[in-house]
Amino acid sequence: MSFFSVEQISAGYGGREILRGISFELEQGCFMGILGANGCGKTTLLKSICGILPHRGRCLLEQTVLEELSARQLAGRVGYIPQRSGISIDISVLDVVLMGFNPQLGLLERPGKRMKEQAAQALEQVGLAGKEEENYLCLSEGQKQLCILVRTIVSESRLLLLDEPESALDFRYRHRMLKLLRGWAAQERRAALVTLHDPSLALNVCDRLLLLSQGGVLGILEPQTDSLERMEPLLCQMYGKVSLQRCQNRRGESQLVMLSEEESADESD
Amino acid sequence: MVVLAVAGLFVGKYPLSMQQLVAGDPMQWRVFLTLRCSRTVVGVVGGFALGVAGFVYQTVFGNPLASPDIIGVSSGASAGAAAGILFLSGAAAVTASAFAGALLAVVLALGLSSLNRSGKSSTIVLAGIAVHSLAQTVLMCLKLTADPERELASIEYWIMGSLNGISVHSIGGNLVLCALCMVALFLLHRQIILLSAEEGEARMLGVCVQRLRLAVLMIATLAVSSVVSLTGLISFVGLLAPHGARLLTKENRMGTMLLSGLLGGALLCGADILARSAAAAELPVSIFTSILGAPFLIFLIVQGRQRG
Repeated sequence: MSFFSVEQISAGYGGREILRGISFELEQGCFMGILGANGCGKTTLLKSICGILPHRGRCLLEQTVLEELSARQLAGRVGYIPQRSGISIDISVLDVVLMGFNPQLGLLERPGKRMKEQAAQALEQVGLAGKEEENYLCLSEGQKQLCILVRTIVSESRLLLLDEPESALDFRYRHRMLKLLRGWAAQERRAALVTLHDPSLALNVCDRLLLLSQGGVLGILEPQTDSLERMEPLLCQMYGKVSLQRCQNRRGESQLVMLSEEESADESD
Repeated sequence: MVVLAVAGLFVGKYPLSMQQLVAGDPMQWRVFLTLRCSRTVVGVVGGFALGVAGFVYQTVFGNPLASPDIIGVSSGASAGAAAGILFLSGAAAVTASAFAGALLAVVLALGLSSLNRSGKSSTIVLAGIAVHSLAQTVLMCLKLTADPERELASIEYWIMGSLNGISVHSIGGNLVLCALCMVALFLLHRQIILLSAEEGEARMLGVCVQRLRLAVLMIATLAVSSVVSLTGLISFVGLLAPHGARLLTKENRMGTMLLSGLLGGALLCGADILARSAAAAELPVSIFTSILGAPFLIFLIVQGRQRG
């Protein structure tokens, strides 16, 4: 029995179906990326799994059917980070992070000292130390994303769903954040599902890659172990003519690089 | 606010002085207890409730212009009051019918919005606008049938709002209700802040968004209806007090909510003092909340431009 499984999920907006019977499984400790062209249903899939979007089919996390849980129970198990947080009021960074403790608190309870310390510690981990009292709205987009990430991590959920968490981050923060996430997911009884935009990044940081195309699963890659010959055709189906190469950095660590093989517009004329 | 409240106790047409009160002049005491005290208490509590409710609305809807008016409380109360003036007699009856009107409007608006399954907060606003115009229509019909000499005048006067005519006997129930609502809102303040996040996001933080939002709005609106049914419409307090509080604290916490209540109380008390002392006759208090409020709003706009 796998840690988390998605069974035949179909969903859409206003009668237009975007996902058509998606099924896949996720082992514990796995950091799975979702790749797909714009509009292929990456965000829709995440939203369906966390129950924000009505859908058919079901999701099982450690034998619990997510669709049957209350919002509160679900929040204790699954954390979701949207592309952009909807927070639009003046509120301190610390208060934003403390929101993450909500599933553990009673309706009228307030976060205790221990939680505040935990929040401050987690902020330090992502490089936001000393910004606890700053206004969340005055942070840069990247810092906001880190802040929301911290909020989700402190909530002690088992499964993390992240929608393009790296989109507003620069190179250094991007790698730092993904490393943090990988480390988080590698622990026992945890897993993460992440939509990513950049295939090169995804190929190098994810244990597995779920390829989505036109509302269905095109295939699942294991970039560390799969051969280039298996991965390249699948990537070509999604991105057009591309080639895949293994390169080594100066320390001899192998990295995958995806290159475009598309003829440029002038030559084809 | 404390200063204004104390001033409110002693300012008025009938001159009161500390010495005479201490000396135990019976006439002085009667005026003090039955008129000034109750009036000031309503000013403070009412302003506080309007301020807090405004804060709640602006937070929940994530919109700086939101106020309890947008879901039709005030127009419901006006229509109720007009009906009370036409068909019932006595101030208490008018208060009761205004309260009923406000409540009806709110229940109607929130009920309508829950018919739509999408559960977006904009649905509540739309339903509120629908109910608002419905109540306005009812009000107009009532005005048409009113006797222009007396009834129409008192309807208009009610709509302009005043703390005049409040006496000890009529305020008890409303104030208790209002205070209960305030306590509930302060207990729920953490949840109110959570509601400010986007729907899906709040849901994933373990908030039963729709149920909680409905409950919070209901409580805030109950408090407002209990005030408005006593005083008539009071403009601007619910809009201004939270903005002022946020400008002062630059954040959204329980303290901000409290401050917004205190500012509301101060504003209403201040406006009421002006209303009864500025001219020979009693003036509607809304004139002064607006006079104090409009420049402040303009100041906010200018400030916002500098920051943004």
